[in-house]
Amino acid sequence: MSDMLRAPAEVKYADELDYLESVDTGVKPYSWRLSPRMVRLFVLGSERADGLDRDIPQKWFGDRSFVERSIVTLASDRGLLLIGDPGTGKSWLAELLAAAICRNSTLVVQGTAGTTEDHIKYSWNVSMVIAKGQSRESMIPSPIMTAMEQGVLGRFEELTRSTSDVQDALISILSEKYVSIPELNDDNIVFAKPGFSIIATANSRDRGVNDLSSALKRRFNFVRIPVVTNKRSEAEIVRFRTEELLRRHHVELDVPPTLLDILLQSFADLRAAAASATSDDEKLESALSTAEQIGVLEDAILHSQFFGDRTLRAGTLAGSLVGSLARRSPEDLAILNKYLHAVVEPRAKQDGGEWNEFLDGGRETIAALS
Amino acid sequence: MTAPATVGAFGALREQLTDAAAAFADGPDALADILTGLVDDVDRALGERLEIFPVCHHSPASALAMVRRLRQKQPRVIYLELCEDLQPVLTELRNCRLPVAVQAFASQLDGFPAAWAPLSVIAPVTEASAEYQAIAYALETPGVELVLVDRSTDHVFQWSPRDETPAADESAPEPTGDDSEGQAALHGDAVGVEIGALRPGFAELEAYLLHHGKVRHWSEWWDSYVERPLATADHDTYRQVMVLIGSLFRRLRPSASQRNDRDEDRERYMWTRIRQHLAATGADPEECLYICGAFHAASRVEQFGLDSSAPDFDITPRTATAWQYGLIPSSHSAIEAQFGLAPGSVSIAAAAWSKAVSASGLKPYRLSGQRGSTIRRGRIKAATGAAGPVADRLSGFLATAPTPDGLDEAELRGWCVDIVRLARRNGYLASTADAIAVFETSILLAGLRNRARPTPYDFADAAVTCIEKDVVPGRRDVRRLCEILLGGDRVGQVGYDALPPLARDVLHRLQPLGLDLEKRTVQRALLDLQSNPELAGCSDLLWMLRHLLPPGAVRPIMGERRLGHRSLQESWDLALGRHQRALIELGYEGVTIEQVLEQRLRRAAHGPDATAVSALTAVEDAITLLNSPRLVDELGSRAVELLASERTVDDAPEVLRRIRRLLAHHQATASRLPAWCGAFVTTGYAHYCTLLPTAVVDEDTGVRQVGAMLGFLFSMESLALSLGCDRSQLELALAQSHPQAPPKVALLWAAHHQLGMLPLAELRTRCRELLTNPLVVPAFPQYLSGFVHALEPVPGLAPFVVETMSTAFAQLPDPVLLPWLPTLVTTLREHGPELVPLLVREAGRTFPGTLAALDSWVPPWSGTAPAGAPAVPDRPVGQVHALLADHREPVDAVAALLGVEGGWQHGDDRATATSIAALVHAHPDTAEAIATLLGLPPDAGAGAAS
Repeated sequence: MSDMLRAPAEVKYADELDYLESVDTGVKPYSWRLSPRMVRLFVLGSERADGLDRDIPQKWFGDRSFVERSIVTLASDRGLLLIGDPGTGKSWLAELLAAAICRNSTLVVQGTAGTTEDHIKYSWNVSMVIAKGQSRESMIPSPIMTAMEQGVLGRFEELTRSTSDVQDALISILSEKYVSIPELNDDNIVFAKPGFSIIATANSRDRGVNDLSSALKRRFNFVRIPVVTNKRSEAEIVRFRTEELLRRHHVELDVPPTLLDILLQSFADLRAAAASATSDDEKLESALSTAEQIGVLEDAILHSQFFGDRTLRAGTLAGSLVGSLARRSPEDLAILNKYLHAVVEPRAKQDGGEWNEFLDGGRETIAALS
Repeated sequence: MTAPATVGAFGALREQLTDAAAAFADGPDALADILTGLVDDVDRALGERLEIFPVCHHSPASALAMVRRLRQKQPRVIYLELCEDLQPVLTELRNCRLPVAVQAFASQLDGFPAAWAPLSVIAPVTEASAEYQAIAYALETPGVELVLVDRSTDHVFQWSPRDETPAADESAPEPTGDDSEGQAALHGDAVGVEIGALRPGFAELEAYLLHHGKVRHWSEWWDSYVERPLATADHDTYRQVMVLIGSLFRRLRPSASQRNDRDEDRERYMWTRIRQHLAATGADPEECLYICGAFHAASRVEQFGLDSSAPDFDITPRTATAWQYGLIPSSHSAIEAQFGLAPGSVSIAAAAWSKAVSASGLKPYRLSGQRGSTIRRGRIKAATGAAGPVADRLSGFLATAPTPDGLDEAELRGWCVDIVRLARRNGYLASTADAIAVFETSILLAGLRNRARPTPYDFADAAVTCIEKDVVPGRRDVRRLCEILLGGDRVGQVGYDALPPLARDVLHRLQPLGLDLEKRTVQRALLDLQSNPELAGCSDLLWMLRHLLPPGAVRPIMGERRLGHRSLQESWDLALGRHQRALIELGYEGVTIEQVLEQRLRRAAHGPDATAVSALTAVEDAITLLNSPRLVDELGSRAVELLASERTVDDAPEVLRRIRRLLAHHQATASRLPAWCGAFVTTGYAHYCTLLPTAVVDEDTGVRQVGAMLGFLFSMESLALSLGCDRSQLELALAQSHPQAPPKVALLWAAHHQLGMLPLAELRTRCRELLTNPLVVPAFPQYLSGFVHALEPVPGLAPFVVETMSTAFAQLPDPVLLPWLPTLVTTLREHGPELVPLLVREAGRTFPGTLAALDSWVPPWSGTAPAGAPAVPDRPVGQVHALLADHREPVDAVAALLGVEGGWQHGDDRATATSIAALVHAHPDTAEAIATLLGLPPDAGAGAAS
């Protein structure tokens, strides 16, 4: 394990990738390091039937066809746009794909309102320009341009957060596959090498902020990642991610399965309530994604570790849940209060156990917040 | 399973499997048992003297193998796994456009729980199915007998557990897929039976197969791993593989479930029937073919095989339930929804069938007369397909990968181009570049999924990847478009000749409309009954159909029919073609529509949950739709019985509304009232008089109900008394009524007033007392609401209600008034049609019409001068007038003092006199003082003032 706070996937899973590359006999498109089947295997984990000597754990949990469609898109001429609610694992999938395909998942442009075309193409080292004039040396290539030069995957996070003119700079990159540098007289075109493609992610909640133009839409294949609602796979995701986070914090603390169940159940209930709500005021602002669950659990664990008795308790979990989900006062608080009253209270009466403690913890936090 | 290891054709395979089991299994040889058991099952099924032909439903491979076998063997008897009582309907298939479903239907149950009614069983038939090939062969070839051997539809329900409503017994009917076209609901809630249902018995096995097959749905797995490899297989391979799969699913399933028992009972049933038939006809088993699901081919019941010595299965007699049989239209999506298949899978199977037929050059069998088909009549040839010794084809099939039939580039290219065109038509910004991308992605996806060529499912995934963006622009998304492209939903139609007599009669009687009612589109019929009086029959029929069919089937756009009203022009939206099933199911209930309607009306009035209202509704329908006085009398008498036996008055408002309407209709159209009407009124009078004292104190009975009771009693009173009722009944009832709730108290006061027991002045005093009593004021709105309800029974109370309401507005404190206002508004709206116009009219009469007049307006009930009413007698006016005219100066001075403007008017018209009289009357002291001053006798002033 490296001493990085968060190692990128290609570093973290370097062993696995090395191993897979060594056993990969499939046809590799362009300059891919792994064949499409091995990429899928890396992301979704191995099975006995794959006949590998070592076990490859599953890293992304979701429908297999999403991964297959994503891989196939990257092997084709088009860019890949992963679209979905916040916290559905879009960026994680993008990172895994980039790591598996080209061992470099760090060529990332983060789309924000302040992203400019320079961030996508290139900018200039001003002092060097003054000293030596405009040349390839004084040019600062963007991550996307670097990806083009190296024939690897570039990533664009939150594509719809950046403004339309910035988005449109991608059109020529995706269709012509080169960037021209008019400031230079010679060597003024950077051609993309085979293997270059773009994985973009977009948040479906941001729809309407900066809508993609039809021209850009045409150059991307959309893969919609839904919120995980299958309880079993959700439990696996939460466990997998929390363990990883705890390892990072060096926390030795067990998550009792009953508490994990309570967390999953409460999210499932809140999602059901949000689905039946008729107006925005009746649903929580949070998308209630799996990532949110992980956040709640991590928060509760850290709280128990540093301020509690090093045991995760239902009350702490409830406090963390309310604290994370109540973003608007009083709307969100009212919804959570209603949830505690109408759902948790009867359940606590019926099942007893840790639901009682969960109820008390939730009420205390709501009282403290309101 | 202790078959000797190397005996028979499958010895080598058996040995190989035993070795494999020994190598992989740790414990005792359960695995070996299963694996060798599979081979034993195959061995056994193929060794049977009667040739068993295993099939799977909606499998083109099965259908192809069936055609090949039938052409080769030309059997003389075909035993088919299908409910035996459906046989007579099968010949009607030739009049239909497939897919249709054979249906058994029973609405009058005998021997089943009444809650199950109506019972309906359907068996859909598609062209791309083995069973259709067998049926067509048998029905089209002279000398061939088709014998259905499965349990009857009656047994389907006999074998259902009694404590639950029977569900589809062949597979879980999960309504999946896009129901937007409304085709998925074509089967209604019928129980589906299918020939050759083949699916893993428990979820884990299915999940395992799907996971390792890298597919999402069972249909897709079947298509990839069984359907395509078997499409070109020879007869022996086909049979062996199918039995093997049937055996696999049979052995790997939860044991001891009730369903297993039923499956085995069905096998016993079928073998028993086959043996009985063979014994009865003496047919040669060599010339027979037994077609059943692969699952049943691998049967291990003791009755299996012609040589079995086990006794026949004891077949229970059918219940006395009268089953009706017919055909209803079906559709691919309905079949998919009913049997839990992947959306589009039946369409894909149909497309695969037609492709395979043209590729193989085989001539499939078709029923003559089938729409869109050419007649091919076969001839019996000498049987050439005698089963030879069984050779092991399984080892080869299992050991080698299926030979891919290569990438059909042209087909895939066609799909890509078509999907882009279809997408564009549905609002997507798809272009040729997308077609190329879909093509490329399909191939890449197939490669990633370890397939030699893209399946339709891969193609659909690729199309979704490349064309679907963040929003769906139209009604259909790309996945749905792919389904349409890959075959599309096909909806069957039952031909005229195969329809039940009722449906044929309906179509025949609607012929004058000049529309093709068998079309599935909505058609507009325009009926001008004045210029085309011959269309009156059509109109009658349409109104009856509207009553009997689901809402969308026939819909009046213009025109209505109610008591005493018939439109001169009508226009209708007719969608009988789309609702063919509903029409056909009506046909099971009777021979003509009138008969069915009469039955339904009778059932409504005589059913266990019938009420007086439902009976009166039936009476109304009988008058408007059937015009049958005999039925009206019968239903009316039933209404009287029901009313007399009712113990609640919940329906009183509805009863009142309906009987009023019916009375008005009869009084207007007949010279004398029908006997049942009189009986209803007298019974109702006595009934409501009896129930009134309890209703007014019962908390569950609303004020509306009590109001309606009183309404009945008062408005029917004269008729009731003329028919021999006694008014003392009512007086006694009122005397016994002691309501507690304020609205009911108010109602009762109104009733007392109506009967003359409570004068208006007294009523007014009571209200005034209520308003002055601070303890009661908060409840005053409730009294008012009672008075509002009293407008129904006592319409003469309207001025008083307006008065009370106005007083309440004027005097109620805001904290009481404001919360009450919304309640008042909603109450009034609820009773709007009847009460509000009354109140508004009365208020219009009472209040001044203009804003200016409002300032000087004095409410008529205020006790001072009622505006506009001559309150002074006319007699003294002339005298006073003369007096005032003689002394103008003091009069002008007094007028100036009092602030009265205007000059002297000439003439002795009545208006002037009245206004003067009013003036004098308003100020009697002044008048008297002036009279004294003028030296007039004192009675002159008094006379003027009085």
